[in-house]
Amino acid sequence: MPVEAIASATGTTTMEITVSKAELLRELTATQGVVERKTTIPILSNYLFEAGGDKLSLTATDLDLSLRTSCNAKVKKEGACTIPARKLHDYVKLLPDADITIKLLENHWVSIRCGRSNTKMVGMARSNFPSLPAFPTAGVVKIPGQVLRSMIAKTGFAIASEESRYTLNGGLMVLKPESITMVATDGHRLSHVERPGEKFEGVSGEMKTLIPKKCMDELKSLLDSTDAEVIEFAKDESTLFFRIGQRLLTSRQLTGQFPNFEAVLPKDNNKSITLHGDELSQAISRVAQFADERSRAVRLKLEKGELKLSASSTETGESEDSLEIDYNGDALTIGFNAQYILDFLKAVGAGDVKLELKDAQSAGQLRPAEGEDYKYRYIVMPMRI
Amino acid sequence: MGKIHVLPEHVANKIAAGEVVERPASVVKELLENSLDAGSTRIRIQVEAGGKKLIQVTDNGCGMVRDDALLAFERHATSKIKDAEDLLSVATLGFRGEALPSIGSVSRLRLETRAPDEPSGTIVEINGGKIFKVEEAGLPAGTSITIRDLFFNIPARKKFLKAESTELSHIASLVTHYALAHPDKHFELHSATNAMLVAPPVAGYSERVYQVFGKETLDQMIPVAAVQPLERIGLPQPPPWRRSDPSGGNQQEPGEVLDPAPFGEMRVHGFVSKPEIQKLNRNSIYVFVNGRLIRDRLVQHALTEAYRNILPPTVYPVVLLFLELPSGEVDVNVHPSKTEVRFRQGTVMHDFVRDSVRAALMKARPVPQFAVEINARPTATPSLTPGARAGNVAASAAWRDLYAPAEATGFSLQAPVPPPVNENFQFGEAFRVEGNAALSLARAPQLIPTDGCTPPVPDEPEAPSDLAPSLASLKPLGQIRESFILAVNHEGLWIVDQHVAHERVLFEKILKQRAALKVESQRLLMPLLVELTPAQQAVFSEISDELAQNGFEAEPFGSRSIAVKIAPAGVDATQVEHMLHELLDQLSREEQSINLEKVRARIAASIACHAAIKVNMPLEQNKMEWLLAELAKTDCPMSCPHGRPVVLRYSLKDIQKAFKRI
Ligand SMILES: Nc1ncnc2c1ncn2[C@@H]1O[C@H](COP(=O)(O)OP(=O)(O)O)[C@@H](O)[C@H]1O
Ligand SMILES: [Mg+2]
Repeated sequence: MPVEAIASATGTTTMEITVSKAELLRELTATQGVVERKTTIPILSNYLFEAGGDKLSLTATDLDLSLRTSCNAKVKKEGACTIPARKLHDYVKLLPDADITIKLLENHWVSIRCGRSNTKMVGMARSNFPSLPAFPTAGVVKIPGQVLRSMIAKTGFAIASEESRYTLNGGLMVLKPESITMVATDGHRLSHVERPGEKFEGVSGEMKTLIPKKCMDELKSLLDSTDAEVIEFAKDESTLFFRIGQRLLTSRQLTGQFPNFEAVLPKDNNKSITLHGDELSQAISRVAQFADERSRAVRLKLEKGELKLSASSTETGESEDSLEIDYNGDALTIGFNAQYILDFLKAVGAGDVKLELKDAQSAGQLRPAEGEDYKYRYIVMPMRI
Repeated sequence: MGKIHVLPEHVANKIAAGEVVERPASVVKELLENSLDAGSTRIRIQVEAGGKKLIQVTDNGCGMVRDDALLAFERHATSKIKDAEDLLSVATLGFRGEALPSIGSVSRLRLETRAPDEPSGTIVEINGGKIFKVEEAGLPAGTSITIRDLFFNIPARKKFLKAESTELSHIASLVTHYALAHPDKHFELHSATNAMLVAPPVAGYSERVYQVFGKETLDQMIPVAAVQPLERIGLPQPPPWRRSDPSGGNQQEPGEVLDPAPFGEMRVHGFVSKPEIQKLNRNSIYVFVNGRLIRDRLVQHALTEAYRNILPPTVYPVVLLFLELPSGEVDVNVHPSKTEVRFRQGTVMHDFVRDSVRAALMKARPVPQFAVEINARPTATPSLTPGARAGNVAASAAWRDLYAPAEATGFSLQAPVPPPVNENFQFGEAFRVEGNAALSLARAPQLIPTDGCTPPVPDEPEAPSDLAPSLASLKPLGQIRESFILAVNHEGLWIVDQHVAHERVLFEKILKQRAALKVESQRLLMPLLVELTPAQQAVFSEISDELAQNGFEAEPFGSRSIAVKIAPAGVDATQVEHMLHELLDQLSREEQSINLEKVRARIAASIACHAAIKVNMPLEQNKMEWLLAELAKTDCPMSCPHGRPVVLRYSLKDIQKAFKRI
């Protein structure tokens, strides 16, 4: 029985179920990320439990993001209740591996029994729990889970930590019949990854979706811990839906316009060098120790056969490193925020990378030297130092 | 036949005395209000040198006949009210009859006016209060008043005028506000040859917002509109001047109850910003009551309530709100500048504004919905109602009982008021928090002294005069709410505001880098278009060179915008627009004239603020150690560039005292 149906069948003031500790804990752990921690709205620090058929469904929400999941349960009395989420998780963790009986009492008290342990906690009226939008019946797209996971890992770090008119606190996902693309930017750099050669049924033309950062993070952690190979994605005007196995993640959509990123993808960066990712990463980390703490600016000096990296600040001193490169073009000096480059090197993993530049004022581009299954490019704006 | 008559002495005396003319903007305000009162549909304002040299307001209103043109300069001469009773329901912007004589006495004034049905007009010239020319002339219908050399005969006053750009930005923002309140009228503001605002009549308020501020602003606003009939009319207590008049009941004054038949209604309309918009102060809140721009704590409180849980408690929305109530419901005769009002039914008005704005916000943010309606909170605290403020405790207590809202019943989803951060630090009587001796850590921008790095004078004589060595020996223990670092040394327990501490560190560093011309900056992925108000634009053009020296690269883009291509390093791209607006607003309100040194400090403070570690941010141990060490190295570790305290100390002695060990 789908979880949505259970939700509508309930509403009574009774509930009594028995679940296995292991199964319950697994789902409680999976939903922790969504439970609002610093909420000023008390109901949001509770789970909604709904029992029906042979399932217990659990819902957590922070209003922006909601996660509904379920586990097998012996349902003695159908019904629903709310329980303080963190306390329940901490408590269940400590219970022995046995069956747990959860029963709704008067005045929103809930009793939790397991073997010789017996606890009562007080929840809140079920009717206070926000109602969640329902999974659409049409327009569902299937996306391979590991592809999505990898694309989030390659772009998520470049999302602006705050939202403004100019940058969105989220990434852009573009689905086409035969490819999926993800883009993220914070206004200083842009990460762009495309995976061609996939088939997406039900997608015609271009389907663009803005995914909030919080949703991307949660999605990634759900994808990290699932056996489901394919996830289901759908949206309506206001909400995004991702179904991963028995878990359903819903997120408020971001409104706003993703910047016109195609305009900033460099086209004529003719100074290209290939570097070993690890070596570059180590050299930058070393010199960045001596960069200004705020700007993290490092200087890259491209010369024949050599890339010199340097940084200096009045407080700490100065530092220089150099890497051997295969380069014959004109010399060029350009500044970058060390952190931006390190972020990319971390996301791209082992292997060689290409650094492509034009001049000291124009965007630099980094990408993996060997084409894999993903077309991955990273644009960084230079600094003036 | 003239319309003007001199107010009887007793009425004149009841009008609070005060100065009308403080600065060029106040002259513009008075003249503008006169033009509006005269029913003009077209108003043109021309200024030179920020209004110091010239202010000219030309309208197409009802004009004046010769007699009136002369009488207008008599003190308390007005055509707008006749007696004290009229003060209870002032429907015009002016009513005191003070503006023209006051302005005429401190400038060289020339009045040209003609009533439309008169064959010819009148010219009057006044120099420092003395009429020296009155003549008949062929003139266009309407009125034009030219003020030259304001304060020429009061050098002391003149000296206190701010820089031209400052005065100009005050004028610009004033005219902008009036233009917003009257979309059906044509407004123009010119500074020398520069057209700062040209706004032909448009169909409505949103068109005017669009015209004045552009599309971006309009897109970020939610319209509000609501009506509520009044259940009664008039005063719950006598008006203040009657209470303070010991001579007792004057026979000519009306009884307690005004005509009770139609109570009329209250209307509100306008725009409030979406929650994404967060301003650090209330300067973007514009409230008009019956067409008059006002500042009112009660309305501001209602807005704060409306945004509760939608905006964090220390930031403010952009609000453009027009309140319309029967003129008997507002007392405008509170202060000569007429920007303060008193609502006769303050509580009703407060709740009406709160609920209307809240409803508009809720409608614009629907997903996911609560199953239960959020209960309304109890209403304004008594300390915010003007009656209580006036000190009439007994009267206001009675009033409160009478009009206190019914107890909220049933379970409320409304969160308890999030405790202000300072609660944690109220140690009680026996405990003394010293250091730089600020007991409140709540961020209250309006309380903060605006001048640079002056540390508040310590209350305690034993407060350490040199903090640096003490700070250098601090060992951080952890954070309170991921916002305040707790640290100890042999002197006691210390609490450090992490954001403000980092701000101080960066501020000094940025100033040094600027002095050494070693500014680092970051190019933006794509140019950021920033729209500026006329006031901001005036400041921007004045300080653009210094901005460039600080790592901004921006160029004009169209008439009202700039395109920013490079911004100081360390500032998120998301913050750049906000930072610029804030900086320009701040400088445009600057009280003293702005010199280069001050501009530099302001810019550095602004960059520091936006590049600094935020509150609600977990810090690792080594990061806390680093921050405390850096703070110890600064020249002025006790206060942030905005004057807020950075550290609090709870000395060993206080701890011992509190535990009754000494
Ligand atoms: N622009 C104007 N057009 C027509 N009449 C005006 C204008 N400005 C001033 N007056 C007349 O001069 C009188 C005095 O103006 P003022 O000193 O500002 O006092 P108040 O506005 O309080 O009445 C007004 O009451 C009005 O009759
Ligand atoms: Mg007037």
